[in-house]
Amino acid sequence: MLLSIASNAQKKYTISGYVKSASSGEELIGANIIVRSLSVGVSSNVYGFYSLTLEEGTYEVTYSFIGFDEVTKTIDLTQNQQIDLELKETVNELDVVEISSDGAEQNVNSIEMSVNKIDSKTIKKIPALLGEADVVRSVLLLPGVTTVGEGSTGFNVRGGGIDQNLVLLDEAPVYNSSHLFGFFSVFNPDAVKNVKLIKGGIAPIYGGRLSSILDVRMKEGNKKEFTGEGGVGLIFSRLSLEGPLVKDKASFIVAGRRSYADILAKPFLNNNLQDSRFYFYDLTAKVNYQINEKNKLFLSGYFGRDVFGAGFIFDWGNATATARWNHIFNDRLFMNLTTFFSDYDYAFGVEAESARDEFSWKSSIVSYSLKPDFSYYLNNKNTIKFGGQSIYYDFKPAEASFVSGGEANDISLPEKFAIENGLYIQNEQKLGARTRLLYGVRWSQFSYLGEGVKQTYGDTIPGLRKPLLNTERFDDWESIASYNNFEPRLSIKYDLDETSSLKASYNRMTQYLHLISNTVASTPIDLWLPTTNNIEPQIADQIAFGYFRNFKKNTYEASAEVFAKDFQNQIDYIDNADIFFNEELEGDLLSGDGRAYGLELYVKRNSGRLTGWVSYTISRSERKVDGINRGDWYPSRFDRLHNLSVVSSYEFNSKWSFSANFIYSSGTPATFPTNRYEIQGVVLPHNVNQSRNNYRIADYHRLDLSATLTPTKNQDRKWKSEWVFSVYNVYSRRNAFAVFFEQNDQNLTETEAIRFSVIGSFVPAVSYNFKF
Amino acid sequence: MKKTLHNLMLMALCIVMVACEDPIDIELDEGRSQLVVDAFISNDMNPQTIRLTKSANFFLNAAAPIANNVNVNIEGPNGVIYNFVNDNQGNYTYDPTTMGAIDSVGFNYRLLISYNGEVYQSFSKLNPVPDIDSMTFAFEEAELGSEEGYYSQFYATDFRGRKDYYRIKAFRNGEPLYPENPEFINLSEDAAFGGEGADGLQFIFPIRAAITDEDNPFLPGEISSVELWSLNQDAYSFLQQMVTQANNDGLFSEPAANIRSNILDISGSAQDEVLGVFSVSSVSINSITITP
Repeated sequence: MLLSIASNAQKKYTISGYVKSASSGEELIGANIIVRSLSVGVSSNVYGFYSLTLEEGTYEVTYSFIGFDEVTKTIDLTQNQQIDLELKETVNELDVVEISSDGAEQNVNSIEMSVNKIDSKTIKKIPALLGEADVVRSVLLLPGVTTVGEGSTGFNVRGGGIDQNLVLLDEAPVYNSSHLFGFFSVFNPDAVKNVKLIKGGIAPIYGGRLSSILDVRMKEGNKKEFTGEGGVGLIFSRLSLEGPLVKDKASFIVAGRRSYADILAKPFLNNNLQDSRFYFYDLTAKVNYQINEKNKLFLSGYFGRDVFGAGFIFDWGNATATARWNHIFNDRLFMNLTTFFSDYDYAFGVEAESARDEFSWKSSIVSYSLKPDFSYYLNNKNTIKFGGQSIYYDFKPAEASFVSGGEANDISLPEKFAIENGLYIQNEQKLGARTRLLYGVRWSQFSYLGEGVKQTYGDTIPGLRKPLLNTERFDDWESIASYNNFEPRLSIKYDLDETSSLKASYNRMTQYLHLISNTVASTPIDLWLPTTNNIEPQIADQIAFGYFRNFKKNTYEASAEVFAKDFQNQIDYIDNADIFFNEELEGDLLSGDGRAYGLELYVKRNSGRLTGWVSYTISRSERKVDGINRGDWYPSRFDRLHNLSVVSSYEFNSKWSFSANFIYSSGTPATFPTNRYEIQGVVLPHNVNQSRNNYRIADYHRLDLSATLTPTKNQDRKWKSEWVFSVYNVYSRRNAFAVFFEQNDQNLTETEAIRFSVIGSFVPAVSYNFKF
Repeated sequence: MKKTLHNLMLMALCIVMVACEDPIDIELDEGRSQLVVDAFISNDMNPQTIRLTKSANFFLNAAAPIANNVNVNIEGPNGVIYNFVNDNQGNYTYDPTTMGAIDSVGFNYRLLISYNGEVYQSFSKLNPVPDIDSMTFAFEEAELGSEEGYYSQFYATDFRGRKDYYRIKAFRNGEPLYPENPEFINLSEDAAFGGEGADGLQFIFPIRAAITDEDNPFLPGEISSVELWSLNQDAYSFLQQMVTQANNDGLFSEPAANIRSNILDISGSAQDEVLGVFSVSSVSINSITITP
């Protein structure tokens, strides 16, 4: 039907193709293709593809992308044309500070709101902990994003839990984005092309999580020449290599990292500590092959692990593999077909003195998916996208066994299976000269499948463990519980003038996976579980309004957004719930509501010697669960009223550049006792009001600085190097991660409040980065 | 597990950076004082003591205030009442040589407390306990987190076909190994950490070996002894929560939560009036002398 409408359009032709970087052949995401005379244009999609349909005629078509020189082509449009265009990177002559940043128009012009993009260049400029640029730690500096504290896994977006972020690495979900408990993220910045955080106005193309999409796209690999990049830092080293396999047709990138704190520490450790292991590594690889003008293939994969051990072993990590096929059916119909595998697992084992006594425990989530996505460029007023996704999940909450006195025993919990399906359609429509709409719907369906057991629990006083009434066995592929949801999505943009616009959006999101964590901060051993007959899908509705404005020819972009979010079926736990080896875990879960609202202000300077941004968020995130806090609303663990980030970078001269960050945020809520009592000589805390999160720990603030030295000899050689000197937490603030209430070790009758700071002093670092 | 992770984390942090803990001043709300019952009764012939105190402000920094003028009884089979006599120090004691031991396996004993005109009660069934068949010891080299010395283990087998809960108490020369340190409360659900596979086995490795102080293992000539206490599910769960809440620190800390008492108002309505726990246990004992 769509095709017949298209063929009715008379004397209209389409220009389509890919926009790429001239130096690497890398596809450019979000490049603008504009016909200024008609004020029409499109942006290239996440695969670098664009399509623009115009009436027969001759046009000046301008191709532009931030950081690249603009190209204007005169096109005589008498038939459909595929134009693949390469843009050259802007040579950054510091003496002539150019103020041109076409991409910044998108802040005002694009229908997207509540979206932040960071490219790998920006990530690398931010002063980082131990000098290591990091994707997730950079995301924490954006408006609307908070964290429980240093060393906790993940991030929180607009009042949502860490499991409510869909973290995608080349379209495969990453179930745990952290290395070293959260100090670093799993993404190697040398292999990352760009990062997009979508917090609101989420288009129907995305589904499965409530609060955000963190879309991380890997580089394709240089199609022109062989290049490398890497670094040596205090904690780990990086190396990435990329180059053509077949010039202009096929290329690859391989990037690896390994930490070596253990190797460096070895000489300083006692004999009995020498066997201890603590390191992490990851490997990212991608190949792509352009079969012909119409077909491209991509294969990408990630494998990373953290390993800790000393007489026992504890390790965790993700593995993902993605295969993608981009196909151009015709000038207007583009398809991306993705299939992926993603696994997250952790294992814990005790190495006893003999094989007669062992203990091992493993837990995992494995998923397989097929995802076709189509873009149909109906005309220059309407871009339709439709597609679907099917994900099959296999959960192993605990695969555990022990050998006791030579006798082996399996204490595993049963595996769980599920399938999640989604179908969506959306249209991005231009309505007159000033208005643009994006509307559509996503239908999602989830089945908790056999082989498995349906547990039915009885009612009890909220907050007490629910009694298991009966169980019923289900065979392979039988549906134990099934749900489906319609998720409407709508975004509107209205241009006030050339440099400012108003935007509004509504989205409903459904989430069928739940991260079960009974710790105050998330950790690698949190458990992913499916929606079941006892655990209902999480649902969130969000509305957002925003004012977007650029100043001084896009040198500055600014936005002000307000949002309000309503959450249903938020999981919590009865007091002191046991989440491991608990076959009746579902009886320990509670379900409640949540709400979050706030204002986000953001100003970014895009070009000039001084670049960076200021982001300020005032927001609230609250939960209400029967059986907790007397059934009243209470602040969630990641509620921070004020949240300010100042990120800046200054190019002093061709040799030196400097960066600084300042972060301020309100303290996180915590539950403090009112009383104490003694049992068996042990002093126990007690809160007579049964409150949750009734206090706040002290405010968090921190300043980080870095200086980058680029040696002058770089100019005459292929080997480009730089030294990065950084200091994290410059004024050594002891930011509290949490406050604990304990007995004093020496004097047992004394109770005290202990402040725990993960990073209690300044952390200097130096790293050496190179490119060739 | 949680503790191990936290220690690991700190170890990693020590190498790469500086984590720190320091005491700070905080002002807390004051709450009302409640009666606290610490009643772990065993089936042996030694005097049985229930300790009654009161909860106080968190920063009391003194021994818990004593609860006097409380009437404390345990009701046994055929309506027999064992009266616990106050020594005015908060210790209410019953001497089994007078009316016999509290040792009817399978009987659901009832604690009755009259305090300030209110009556509170709690039930605890006396579960059986397996014998400790033997104990062994071996010399071990130092490793991460454990010093060089003699380490002992005990061997006992869980009853098959029923759910059992145990607490293992370790002693050194007759003295509790870890007095008042909740971190080392050693608990077992069947012979392991629960789950079907743990039923009817010999107590598994980490549990049966956790009876030596790793910072200060046994020396030749010392006596390592073990008491195995049978528990009810609610007493087991109370101790488990105690382990979590008394030492709830570090990156892996759990949300602070009140520990649910199994002692309720006699009408069954008032929750959270009395704190603490009532438990009756069968106990089996064994010991071994370390020789070089």
